[in-house]
Amino acid sequence: MQATETMKVLLGVGEPLIGRLLTYDALGMRFREVKLRRDPKCPLCGTSPTIKDLSIHAAGGTACAISPNGDGEPATSGAVPAARPGG
Amino acid sequence: MKTLKDMLAEARQVVPEEGPDDLSRRLKDREPIVVIDVRDPDEYRDGHIEGAASISRGFLEFRIGTAVSDPSVPIVLYCQTGLRSVLAAKALKELGYQTVINLKGGFQKWAQSGLPVVKDTPLTTEQIGRYSRHFLLNQIGETGQRKLLRSKVLLIGAGGLGSPTALYLAAAGVGTIGLMDGDVVDITNLQRQVLHTTADIGKPKVESGARTLKALNPDIAVIPLPVRIDVDNVMDIIKDYDLIVDGSDNFDTRYLVNDACYLAGKTNIHGSIFQFEGMATVFAPGEGPCYRCLYPTPPPPGLVPS
Repeated sequence: MQATETMKVLLGVGEPLIGRLLTYDALGMRFREVKLRRDPKCPLCGTSPTIKDLSIHAAGGTACAISPNGDGEPATSGAVPAARPGG
Repeated sequence: MKTLKDMLAEARQVVPEEGPDDLSRRLKDREPIVVIDVRDPDEYRDGHIEGAASISRGFLEFRIGTAVSDPSVPIVLYCQTGLRSVLAAKALKELGYQTVINLKGGFQKWAQSGLPVVKDTPLTTEQIGRYSRHFLLNQIGETGQRKLLRSKVLLIGAGGLGSPTALYLAAAGVGTIGLMDGDVVDITNLQRQVLHTTADIGKPKVESGARTLKALNPDIAVIPLPVRIDVDNVMDIIKDYDLIVDGSDNFDTRYLVNDACYLAGKTNIHGSIFQFEGMATVFAPGEGPCYRCLYPTPPPPGLVPS
């Protein structure tokens, strides 16, 4: 799936999964799509970003544990599945 | 009898003209336009604008229907100096194409303005055979294949997600693949990380990965990067690539890759998996959300096993 998306973006064809999260449940063999929106309060890509360089990662270990934006809710139209730890 | 001058003047009355900078901006903004190089094939091969389709003037009316099926899609035509293409553009207007623009000054002015030019070296017999099934697909074709061969993709992680992605990209002829992973192959990896074999246990993953990819497709370059991505190396590494595939297995790396890609303006093909469930999305700076929009904060430690 990542390979196909990579090829589409490189070639500029089709509709890449920009703003869409595709989830795959192998046991139920079901795909689900959740629409994603940009969060205006996002500390990185929002309207008044607080992350302008990678210095928050320099502390080591707790790099991603920055203060949440606003109410901490993800900016989506539906329920976002829990983050997946594995790679 | 009409002179050439009369014909050009007539054509210019119905065909709007734009300079190289206008076209460059349209391409940069990814406007839905079709760019057609109407010069002869040998002129096209010697250098052309990236993404331009090659339909020489003589075949234009015959082949335009296949190249542009929707007459409302804007078309930009160019030739060497902008003369052949203005006449060609008038012909397309007469066929009913609504917006046909001529590139003023043609390819010559484009190149003189210092804008990027793509040169095609002839594909080898081996490449023609290897990628022949891609040539049959309208969306790829020879132009698309050349684009893939010129592309540079960085894979962060040569594990469960990186393995299949790397295999498919290598097979498809993505010209340069950076393979980044600081781990060595463990027997517990082999049940899913298909880049590595039993004989590779104990070896760096990028070493076995690079060997597998080169065996699959010797036509591509694989750059092994046997290091963990971190705050000190990330910007320097990603700058050389067109696109980043995040196949990492931890949240710190995901936030780091997300932030670095956003700051560097690189598209990040994101994937993650846990047990029987996986997810994928594409984070394109300026076009859609980023990982922090989706997950503003990482899950508390201990909630998800790693």
